[in-house]
Amino acid sequence: MNSIIIGQYIPGSGFFYRLDPRTKIITILFLMIAVFMLETILQLAIAIGIAVVLLLAGRISLLKVLRGLKPIFILLVFTFVFQIALNTEGVVLSTATMHFNLTSVIFALLIFVLWRFLLRFNRFKILLFVLFVLGLYFNFRYATLHTDFYSFQLTIYEKGVEMSVFVVLRLLIIITLTTVLTLTTKPTDLTQGLESLMHPLKKLGFHSEDFALIISISLRYIPTIFDEAQKIMSAQASRGADFTEGKLKDKLKQIISLLVPMFIIAFMRSEELADAMESRNFVPGEQRTRINILRFTIVDIYTGLFTALCFAGAIYVKVML
Amino acid sequence: MGIRFYNVTHEYDSYSKKTYKAIQNISLSIESKDEFIALVGHTGSGKSTLAKHMNALMFPTEGYLNIFNETITKKRDKKVKYNNLRRQVGLVFQFPEYQLFEETVEKDIMFGPLNYKVPFEEAKRLAKEAIQLVGLDDSYLKRNPFNLSGGEKKRVSIAGILAMDPKILVLDEPTSGLDPHGRQVLMELFSDIHRKTGKSVIIITHDMDLVYRYFKRVIVLKDGMLSFDGSPDDLFRSDIIEQNHLDLPNTVKALKYIKDKQGINLDIYQKTPEEAAIELRRVMTHE
Repeated sequence: MNSIIIGQYIPGSGFFYRLDPRTKIITILFLMIAVFMLETILQLAIAIGIAVVLLLAGRISLLKVLRGLKPIFILLVFTFVFQIALNTEGVVLSTATMHFNLTSVIFALLIFVLWRFLLRFNRFKILLFVLFVLGLYFNFRYATLHTDFYSFQLTIYEKGVEMSVFVVLRLLIIITLTTVLTLTTKPTDLTQGLESLMHPLKKLGFHSEDFALIISISLRYIPTIFDEAQKIMSAQASRGADFTEGKLKDKLKQIISLLVPMFIIAFMRSEELADAMESRNFVPGEQRTRINILRFTIVDIYTGLFTALCFAGAIYVKVML
Repeated sequence: MGIRFYNVTHEYDSYSKKTYKAIQNISLSIESKDEFIALVGHTGSGKSTLAKHMNALMFPTEGYLNIFNETITKKRDKKVKYNNLRRQVGLVFQFPEYQLFEETVEKDIMFGPLNYKVPFEEAKRLAKEAIQLVGLDDSYLKRNPFNLSGGEKKRVSIAGILAMDPKILVLDEPTSGLDPHGRQVLMELFSDIHRKTGKSVIIITHDMDLVYRYFKRVIVLKDGMLSFDGSPDDLFRSDIIEQNHLDLPNTVKALKYIKDKQGINLDIYQKTPEEAAIELRRVMTHE
């Protein structure tokens, strides 16, 4: 199970990889705020243009970033659909009655089956989905052969379309920004950056080193624990407790047979880890030196300037226009 | 009946795009009775992967298997009751920590039989039989499995599988982490179970002494490929040992050394120290 990668870090050597993690975190924070200050689609389109240019300059493949969008695809679709369906401001763009009757429902099912079938080829998934939705729309709109047992008026307003595009674009930019961060920064560097950024909070009683240590250890142990869970499941499956077969009542018992060894192994591991750390003289809270010391370079200064420029631009647009 | 491998390959996915073949093109036949097989090979040679195929915990990515008349292919078949296959082929994992979870040894051993809908009283009887079969007495049944020593835990985990009464028993390195005496005792135990019940036993091991002394058949894996399948006698007399960087058994090694250094004409292939001593005595009185 070495295939489990925590975060999405992909080794590389572009411009973004050379940045200090602290710069990246702060930059992305400010850029996000800037994106939230933008108010029209045109402004967002310009922002997307800048983002794409940056990605190309940093030699990050757009494909990888798009792949990072996959998990939130459903969220995007929902926002889009709800904005279109529920927003009732502005000029009416189109209005149509949706017919639910025998033929239209049967056709809808056929379209659904066709869509699921085509999905097997694993290509053009998003295009297929769009076609599927459009197919459903036209199907319900023009099916008037039978008498309807249910129908409703679907009205699309100008503002609805505008807002839906706007919200989706905004989400896209924000996800792209965070994806760039996770694609180009190792989880360890990320925690080190966070630790360093939160260092001033020590005066308030918040120990950022402990926090960073906890995060790095948990990240480090996720694949290990996952691996152990797999092994335990195999061992219990060998005793007739296959999690994919059997009734719900049996499954409860089977979950216990997974959890107990899980906890015992986790405790064993943590004790081993504590011993290993102690035998290398690790004392919590003591001053420690690092192998990789974070240093700002000229690249970080350029990035900072660029961010400031973007931020100032966003404020200018917000206040003046 | 039994387990048949037909050109089985298992490929692991990996992120660096190169896929990694844990086992390649393996064709094997294991009978459901009277087999006593050692599965030998270096770390990473695919022994554990092969073992996991034997009770359908893993599916081949190419080729297919036939386990007790059920065909196992790449895809999970809803018609095949994999659970039932696992009752026929019991697989004991290397670390007992992965399976012990109940508060008493008895309950833990009963877990397997109860999963197969064996009545409670019957399961209790099976647990008692199994614990005796692995050489622990009844007093262990009421103990907490987590307070046992490593060797005892191992025995309990083996009993947990034995209680299901599998036709074929597969053990993944059962003797690792035990002292030499414990190893010997455990091997005697397996050999005993094999003799008494006629069950086929397949054991993954690194210990060539044990292989030579106890087993009827050896399967050697090298880089996921089958490089030898035959009797231990044939194995240790052939040059496959050197090709696979495997060790000779200690008795053979010692006798070979004496033979080479002293130039005495010895039959170096002796399975136990006792036999080796007899052979030495024979040669010495002869001269």
